[in-house]
Amino acid sequence: MNRSRSSPMRTSFVLVMIVLLGLGPVHAEDVGERWGTEERERDYYPIVNITLPKDTVIEAGAFAVLSDRQFAVGTRRGEIFLIDGIDAPKPTPSFHRFASGLDEIFGLSWKENAFRVTQSCELTRVSDSDSDGVADRFETISDGWGYANYHEYAFGSKLNTDGSQFVALGLSASYYSHALNRGLIMKIAPDGKTTAFASGLRSPGGIGFDEHGALFYVESQGPWNCSCSLKAVSPNSFHGHPASFNWYPFSPELGPEPEMPKTESRIVTEKNRVKQLVPYAVIFPYIRMGRSITAFSVDRTQGKFGPFENQMFLGDYTQSILMRATTEQINGVWQGACYPFREGLSTGILNVEFTPGGNLLCGGTNRGWPVRGIKPFALERLEWSGIMPFEINRITIEPDGFQVTFTKPVEPITGNAPSSYAISAFTHPYHAGYGGPEIDQHQPKVKSVSLAEDGLSAKLVLEKLDPGFVYELDLVRLRSCDQDELLHRNAFYTVNEVPSR
Amino acid sequence: MADNQLLAIETTMKKVYLGMLLLLSSSMASAGDSALPGNHPLTQVQAGSLLISELRCAACHTDVARNSIPEKTAPDLAEVGTRVTSEYLQKFLASPLTAHPGTTMPDVLGARSESERKKIAEAMTHFLVALSTAVASLEPLESTGSVDPAQGKELFHSVGCVACHGTKESASDSQRNPKHNSLVDDVDEEEAEDPARAASQAIKPMVVPLEHVATKYSVKSLSDFLFQPLRVRSSGRMPDMKLTPSESFAIAGYLVGDQPGPSAPLIPDAALVSAGKKHFQELNCAACHSLKGFEAAPPVGSFMTSSFKTADFTAGCLSTVPGKTTNDRGPRFDLDNNQRQAIVAAIREDAGVRGNTAVDSDPVALARTLTVFRCIACHVRNDYGGVHDAYNSFFKGSEMNLGDDGRIPPPLTLMGAKLKPSWMKKVLFDGESVRHYMVTRMPQYGSANLQHLPSLFRRLDVLTGPQMNIPNPGGRNESERQQEKLIRAAGRELLGDKGVNCVACHSFNGKAANVNQGIDLLTSFERLQPEWFHRYLRNPGAFRPRTVMPTAWPDGVAAFTAILDGNTDRQIEAIWYYLSLGTSAADPSGVRAVSTKIKVGEQTIVHRGRSRIAGFRGIAVGLPERLSYAFNAETGTLSAIWQGDFIGVNWSGQGSGDFNPASEPIALPQDVSFVALENENTSWPLLPVMTKEAPTNPDPLYPKNVGYQFRGYFQDKLSIPTFQYRSGTIEIKDRSVVEGTGDQQRLKRVFQFQSPTPQIIWFRALVGAVHRESDQVFRSGRLRLHIPAAETKLRSLSDELTQFELLLRLDIPQGKSSLELRYEPIKK
Repeated sequence: MNRSRSSPMRTSFVLVMIVLLGLGPVHAEDVGERWGTEERERDYYPIVNITLPKDTVIEAGAFAVLSDRQFAVGTRRGEIFLIDGIDAPKPTPSFHRFASGLDEIFGLSWKENAFRVTQSCELTRVSDSDSDGVADRFETISDGWGYANYHEYAFGSKLNTDGSQFVALGLSASYYSHALNRGLIMKIAPDGKTTAFASGLRSPGGIGFDEHGALFYVESQGPWNCSCSLKAVSPNSFHGHPASFNWYPFSPELGPEPEMPKTESRIVTEKNRVKQLVPYAVIFPYIRMGRSITAFSVDRTQGKFGPFENQMFLGDYTQSILMRATTEQINGVWQGACYPFREGLSTGILNVEFTPGGNLLCGGTNRGWPVRGIKPFALERLEWSGIMPFEINRITIEPDGFQVTFTKPVEPITGNAPSSYAISAFTHPYHAGYGGPEIDQHQPKVKSVSLAEDGLSAKLVLEKLDPGFVYELDLVRLRSCDQDELLHRNAFYTVNEVPSR
Repeated sequence: MADNQLLAIETTMKKVYLGMLLLLSSSMASAGDSALPGNHPLTQVQAGSLLISELRCAACHTDVARNSIPEKTAPDLAEVGTRVTSEYLQKFLASPLTAHPGTTMPDVLGARSESERKKIAEAMTHFLVALSTAVASLEPLESTGSVDPAQGKELFHSVGCVACHGTKESASDSQRNPKHNSLVDDVDEEEAEDPARAASQAIKPMVVPLEHVATKYSVKSLSDFLFQPLRVRSSGRMPDMKLTPSESFAIAGYLVGDQPGPSAPLIPDAALVSAGKKHFQELNCAACHSLKGFEAAPPVGSFMTSSFKTADFTAGCLSTVPGKTTNDRGPRFDLDNNQRQAIVAAIREDAGVRGNTAVDSDPVALARTLTVFRCIACHVRNDYGGVHDAYNSFFKGSEMNLGDDGRIPPPLTLMGAKLKPSWMKKVLFDGESVRHYMVTRMPQYGSANLQHLPSLFRRLDVLTGPQMNIPNPGGRNESERQQEKLIRAAGRELLGDKGVNCVACHSFNGKAANVNQGIDLLTSFERLQPEWFHRYLRNPGAFRPRTVMPTAWPDGVAAFTAILDGNTDRQIEAIWYYLSLGTSAADPSGVRAVSTKIKVGEQTIVHRGRSRIAGFRGIAVGLPERLSYAFNAETGTLSAIWQGDFIGVNWSGQGSGDFNPASEPIALPQDVSFVALENENTSWPLLPVMTKEAPTNPDPLYPKNVGYQFRGYFQDKLSIPTFQYRSGTIEIKDRSVVEGTGDQQRLKRVFQFQSPTPQIIWFRALVGAVHRESDQVFRSGRLRLHIPAAETKLRSLSDELTQFELLLRLDIPQGKSSLELRYEPIKK
């Protein structure tokens, strides 16, 4: 294991990593170093606290947009509140309790005057038949899974274009699969017909569609997962944790049971052997980019939320931070990048959703697991101040390197210097152990850089680009034309495939 | 106090011993120059410089320094007609100082005749009203809807308005005494023997008068202003008090009172609008009020020229006599002699000019900021500021036992060393607050106005403390890890009720404390700097003379000698470390676990969650008659009944919503209830059993593989649920209501069947030591079951003939049919 070579720019961080990764068990207590960018971030993306009604506990688990005005939150305490006025400049929205008595809401969407609620026990249609403003019909759409351990959470997607929905089922106690279909993603047809869709989940944190309409779920670090990641879900795909192989005999629609993956291997190796194994699309390097990432939402605000249109935004429970992610499909395989976005939220973030006004509502709780945020629960609204931050906007792969776009024009002297682009790469082992180190670290040389005339993008040619590695870009030396430093210097691209020339 | 004295004190504070600090903050040293109200520390020149900026001399004069504090801006006039009644507007324009004594708006028509003033004011009113989208008008209270002036009065006197405005009564006093205005309270000239006492008495409470608002605004328009004052007055001198719309409305109702209105709305007259527009330009209103399409006139006299410095200040802008200005357009301000003298002193000493350290050093800039934004009306810093005696009783808190700490805003002394910069910004700019018990609110002044404040505090306040050695949780070696464990255990013990018992008076991660509800301990690490935390814990009294917070280390000596060898520094370190772990560490001993009792009122309550008495897909139903039951939705089974309190729900830890009956339940089996048995001897299909040794469900499709499917429930007007499920091809509706009262109370359960074909299905009604009391009455333990005439089978489950199951054989016809059962709980 080679973990001694590291970028001099991040010495302190690497020290932390060495301590955490190699020598001794990783304690669950340290929530990790801060990015240290909070003070600057607030100029661009201020956080507005949403005042909650007195004596009301809102541990947000899922959100839904009903109309231009109305917004809804589903909570871990099984309530659904309709929120009016979420986008007011000084928000004092009204909260109306529409439904109660449900069990851990981690999926909420609104269709034809009814909510579709994913709770631990089932997917339920919740509606108000007598129009008195309070739900009175709770119709089971699907309960096609076992539920026999409190940790068996269920996360529901929004509705697909064909009216179907996906539910991601966490393992029993997050390690095993003792109850039916735990560790699978179920597809629920509009008529409620429930079929197994994908396997290999560990402890999902959300499921939904990316900017291209492709299905992704959020996976947490743990056995067979050295970091949290976004995983691209296709029919019959296997996502790395074999505990759910139990249920192949019950679900012929999943096809043959995959080969058992070998531990102490690499994803790039095993995916050739285990043909259903889908490599992790976007790896969020553990601790640097969250410790337990949660559900995402795609920015379709048409610029109201700033320069990151179509990108995925997601939170982290432990570190109370927000990150961005972008995806692209190369040779039929999904991959992409993640980027730091905002830290300093007040509670563990379980879900995020864009409001009708183009703000990002974030919510969650700090109960049960380590969380940096100090509030037991909170709803916070992120809004764009209108000031353009200098950020890495998006990284895409090229046959011989990366294309990096920026939110503001890069000043040409630093922008054209290969030394301004420090690249380091690592991979993770693929193994049954809990979490795991960053290994095979190396610093590929940047052979050349060409900054676009407008300064808004740069093409990097690397001497070497290998599938199976996460490439970290550290662009701290770049300056914008107006002499701004990058708000966040790093971004991380997971390479599964390299496009051919 | 001389400016160098202020500097000296600020510098001393950095090094001062805390005992000394106590001395300083408890004594009221002499107040600053009387040109400004409140217990501020500014000298005459500094006060003059502040007035120059607050009165916006730079709007017309050049070479006036724009110092670190953004100057006061004039209100936005874009919608002034919507906000302000036209009657008031006209009166105010004609003579601002009469309409609103204490206004910082100068009288620019002083040299004009009465009729000319009136004419100009009328034209300008028409012009301003024409700019607005609606016209404000007076309104009688009842026309404004549900305004509650009593609530408004309560809010006005508790959220903090009084600190700057005084009470309505004191405001009328100031109206009668024109020397009281928003910028100054005059000083009694009486001699006193004790100079400190004299100085303290000389500090009059601030009174920014509000009498004019009753005719200026309607309830609605004042309410809008109070809700978001910075939209109109962006410089934050009137801060956002974090009011909700309904609170703003109530306060507005209280302040405005019953108005005579509605007055006839002013319809702008084109000729007057155009004349008003001309006046607006000519009178150079745009110098202070930015309005689209208007440019300020070129500046007049520079503050720097020597002729200006030696000018005759009894004329010009500072003239006391109307009309005695250098030209008849000159503005006249409502100033008293102290203020005039302060301004003159500042001009003569170049104090208004950039780079003059007498007015531009960090301590002065901070004192200026705290004075301008009236932070000193609520907060003490070093030897200045603080709640005035006259207003002290209006500061209230919900935690009486916390004493003044629970109701008087915290001191700003050493604030820069106390709060982490990120938290200070959250308090100043994001409205964060941890003192939920304090009724007075920390106002919001707008981040643009106080952008400079956090770094100013930081530069001035430095507190050294011993190095906090925080262990590394991912320790490098065994001894480090052992050390970490030791410190963690010590921190937990000290915080808990077996130690210093911090949790007795501080809540912990939202969990209520046992005695007082002080600041949540979990916020400490996020908010505070370690050095300050250390010094504060050692001796809270040094920071807050009358604090109720005790010290566990009197004179620096630990009371708990068995923990960490009684080493004070290490004990405090351990507490700090423990708090740094946040929610990742266990709650200290003495923090109460949260089990939420759910109470049933007039409506039935349905609660889903796992439970030992209803399985993972459990549903508890609490009926208003204090009879509750549990339904296992996984098997379609009524699995428990109890009388009395409903349920306690566990909403702590990782799990969520698991419930337990709040009274002792009568538990029933949880296996599937309806099965089409092959014959009467076929054994009942039972719930699969998982054990620690064999945790995987051996029959994962149960009970769907015996035909059961849950389909949900609906609730009626009283929220009573009807469960719906299927057994094979039979659709079943299952609804239970209460019958009878007291000892006669029973749960009446009605099944409605809908079947496509005639068929036989078995219902398993009871299991256990079932005893047949009659053909239609069976008893098992504390439950008596009444069934209709039906074919029953009481089968033995054991050789000893102690365990039985009671089955009902149901002949279900095609179409609809029903079955009624009565469950009768038997009191012990």
